[in-house]
Amino acid sequence: MSRRPPDPLPLSNQKPVDEDVRLELAQHIELRTEELVARGWSPEEARAEAVRAFGDLAAVTDECREITVRARRSRRRDEWFGALIHDVRFALRILRRSPAFTCGAVLTLALGIGANTAIFSVVNGVLLRPLPYDHPEELVSVYEATERGGYADVTEPNFRDWRAQAHSFDGMAAYGSDVGTLLGADIPSRVRTAAVSEDFFRVMRVQPALGRLPAPDEHRTGAPPVAVVSYRFWRDRLGGTAELANRRLRTTFDFQVVGVLPPGFGFPDQSDLWFPVELYGRNESRTAHNFSVVARLRPGLGPQDGKRELDALTAPMREQYLPEFDAVGASVAPLQDRTTGSLKEPLYLLLGASSLLLIAACTNLASSMLVRGSARAHELAIRAAIGAGRGRLVRQVFTESLLISSLGCAAGLAVAVVVRHGLLLLAPAGMVPLEGAPFDVRVLGFSLLLTLLTAVLFGLLPAMRMSSVRPSQAMREGTRHSGSRRSRRLWSTLVAVEVALAVVLLCGSGLLLRSFAAITSIDPGFHSEGVITTLLDLPDASYPDVLQAVAFHDRLLAELQGAPGVLAVGITNRLPLEGDSPSGAIQVEGKPLLAIGPVTGFAIYRTASAGYFEAMGMRLVTGRSFTDRDRADAAPVVIVTQSLADREWPGEDPLGRQLRVMGMDDAILRPYATVVGVVADIPHGAITGTRREAYWYPYSQMPARTRSMNLVVRTAGDPAAAAPMLAEAVHRLDPQLPLEWHTMEERLSSSIADRRFTMVVLASFALVALLLAGLGIYGVVSYTVAQRGREIGIRIALGAEPSRVQRLVQGGAMAVIGIGIVAGGAGAVAGTRLMRTLLYGVEPGDPVSFALAVGSLVAVGFLASWVPARRSAGIDPVRAIQAE
Amino acid sequence: MTPPPMTLLKGTLDVLILKTLGWGPSHGYAISRWIQQCTGEELQVEEGALYPALRRLEEKGLLDSAWKTSATGREAKVYTLTAAGRRQLQTELSAWSRYVSAMTRALEARPTGAIA
Repeated sequence: MSRRPPDPLPLSNQKPVDEDVRLELAQHIELRTEELVARGWSPEEARAEAVRAFGDLAAVTDECREITVRARRSRRRDEWFGALIHDVRFALRILRRSPAFTCGAVLTLALGIGANTAIFSVVNGVLLRPLPYDHPEELVSVYEATERGGYADVTEPNFRDWRAQAHSFDGMAAYGSDVGTLLGADIPSRVRTAAVSEDFFRVMRVQPALGRLPAPDEHRTGAPPVAVVSYRFWRDRLGGTAELANRRLRTTFDFQVVGVLPPGFGFPDQSDLWFPVELYGRNESRTAHNFSVVARLRPGLGPQDGKRELDALTAPMREQYLPEFDAVGASVAPLQDRTTGSLKEPLYLLLGASSLLLIAACTNLASSMLVRGSARAHELAIRAAIGAGRGRLVRQVFTESLLISSLGCAAGLAVAVVVRHGLLLLAPAGMVPLEGAPFDVRVLGFSLLLTLLTAVLFGLLPAMRMSSVRPSQAMREGTRHSGSRRSRRLWSTLVAVEVALAVVLLCGSGLLLRSFAAITSIDPGFHSEGVITTLLDLPDASYPDVLQAVAFHDRLLAELQGAPGVLAVGITNRLPLEGDSPSGAIQVEGKPLLAIGPVTGFAIYRTASAGYFEAMGMRLVTGRSFTDRDRADAAPVVIVTQSLADREWPGEDPLGRQLRVMGMDDAILRPYATVVGVVADIPHGAITGTRREAYWYPYSQMPARTRSMNLVVRTAGDPAAAAPMLAEAVHRLDPQLPLEWHTMEERLSSSIADRRFTMVVLASFALVALLLAGLGIYGVVSYTVAQRGREIGIRIALGAEPSRVQRLVQGGAMAVIGIGIVAGGAGAVAGTRLMRTLLYGVEPGDPVSFALAVGSLVAVGFLASWVPARRSAGIDPVRAIQAE
Repeated sequence: MTPPPMTLLKGTLDVLILKTLGWGPSHGYAISRWIQQCTGEELQVEEGALYPALRRLEEKGLLDSAWKTSATGREAKVYTLTAAGRRQLQTELSAWSRYVSAMTRALEARPTGAIA
């Protein structure tokens, strides 16, 4: 460490307090004694008199000391605050003097902090926030572990046995959720209903806000139907009146509202109505997986304890009931997992990406602060020379950084509000938490912590380096050369880090982009353009006989056929993409039965009308689609998917083959149906999912569930524009039917909304990181050129060609960029492996994505260093040398 | 009529210190001597009481102090009146003269009908 001049003396010549007091008082007595001696007193008498006249010396000493200690302490505090205010004002002046730097720095930080806070508040809302129930950590979902190694909902008798015998749980409840049509409230509408077993509310620890819960004797098959409603439903749909006595509503049955649940409770699915599950009858099958199960673990027990006990209980049950039994054990998982599920990975990915972005922002600031610091070395050297201590200088520079990061934090919060708003708009429905994503104290603390970290990170480093510059050295002419080697190495590191971070983010978003492209180029097996759909959910109450529902659909289809603008029209029980249904049992004629029952295999069961395949634009591979002649009284027919045909009749003609659906619990055997057509496979759930085997019956030949069908219309023009005309046609037949129109394009797009969301957000991060890297490179190269102006001038004066000088400068920058790219590439290889599950059609190490990332960085890096490097070629040697 | 001696003394001591320093910087003993000479035996002040008073005035920012070496080579703690101290002295002086003139008027007034 170099020697530095001592700090200047303080203005007031202070002594330590004790000495100060003792000396002053002793001097008084001394002077008084001398005076008395001069008047003729003897020295002893004079001294005694002086002491007497003075009074209580000890007490006065104490009092003086106390006052002075207090005074000095408060003075130091004032000085400290004064210095702080001075520092802040000085920093403000400095920052105002270079608005470009200040704006750039604040903006960089705002983007880094803003993106981070916004993502964090969404992540916080979805992932980290505990469920809003009493002791949510005790709540678990319970599933059956199946023979095939998967999980399934629980069968009714298994649920009852588990509930009766398990001791690990303080209550276990079953629930199911559905969407139904509601009549009797203000307007007919669709509501989310839940069917719950007796212990449900006790397990969830919910008390009604108004009225009561269903009584035990109302949890019986055949009891008069009652329901409790959500607070939201009660307020919005029942007028929020305290009088529930006459609230009779109708869904599948007439029911009485007996209670209102507290605000915010909507488990399981933002439900509005909760019925006793017993109203729906009993199902004694041990292979019909109908119940979702929630249970509350006894305090101190974990999911594993619950699973162990249920596994042990299941073994003897399996012995007893085989072959009518397909569970091999249980699966017990925290309830929280059910509500977040697939969102975890994209949200954590984005959180990680936004952290990288923040690091990039900080690195950028560090390098620009460092550049600035070097530019100000002269000024700081002068201040050091006139006596500012090292600590004081560090503090001054630290204040500047802190000020910038405070401004950045404030701007960041503003950015966060905007970004969060955008995120919530863009986010697919499932990703948005129920209460939105409020900025809570944790989020605020998180962003404040970030600011502080940032300040320490990019503030102290340059400050330490600056203050270690020897004043004599810094003030000497030509100092800019000395000491800059070390600075240059540090800048190179920072630039390389920025480049590396940008490479990682670009690689990640490149992979998502390629996945998304792969997904959008998937042939869905249908043509979504021009197709509009709605659910026709005919209430049981209005259509007590299912044949009435069939008649409704017949009339509606007849009416819409040939209507203006309608190219094709049909109905089906389930649309493509509309959730994966479990495969049902079938019997194919001539195939051997499986061991588990009178079954030869499994496939997804669907029904459809004539015109459906045309309206949906599904590709007919062979045979014919349904016609108006395929009615209840005609010979049973069926259309199968390509994959089902390939599985059942490989290499043979599937047309004319026979198959039938097997309700496992149906006593009656249906007649075989003849395969009349084969269609291309379609996605039943996610478009990226495997295309599972399926078959369609004509709906009139399989009318059991015809009350709930989807209308599918292919229109000539804009499908959304046809909705009013179509609605009118429906309402002519049933004015009360609630309709919700969605085009197939919408369904297709919303089915990939979460992927699009993740991709767009990650790509924006990557672009910002790329921009930051470009700015960082530009800043450092510009400064290097300015700093080495004299050296470059000399080179040119000695005959170096300007273009060679330019290549030299830019070559150095590109070498640093190259190091960053290599480091970033290595990081990306490791990092992108973590996002494997989010990819489709590309591998984590995809060379195209990596090449794109590297290419864009090389391009941006070249441009960002070319502009300042060009300036170096234009340096006038005479002026450059004189300037020093 | 007269306020309790110590109260008067305390406040008065501060004013006297300010007044003394109004003529120029001085050290504690000199201030103490000057006050004693001016007031004679009328105001009996324990000499030691001066020093806490000086330090309190300094704490309030009315005085500044520094150790200085005098011409005789003796080191002494010298007090100086600050700008705030000067303002305070003006305030005290005018308050004192208002007090005195009010008291004087009251004590020298002749009885009028209002009292009878």
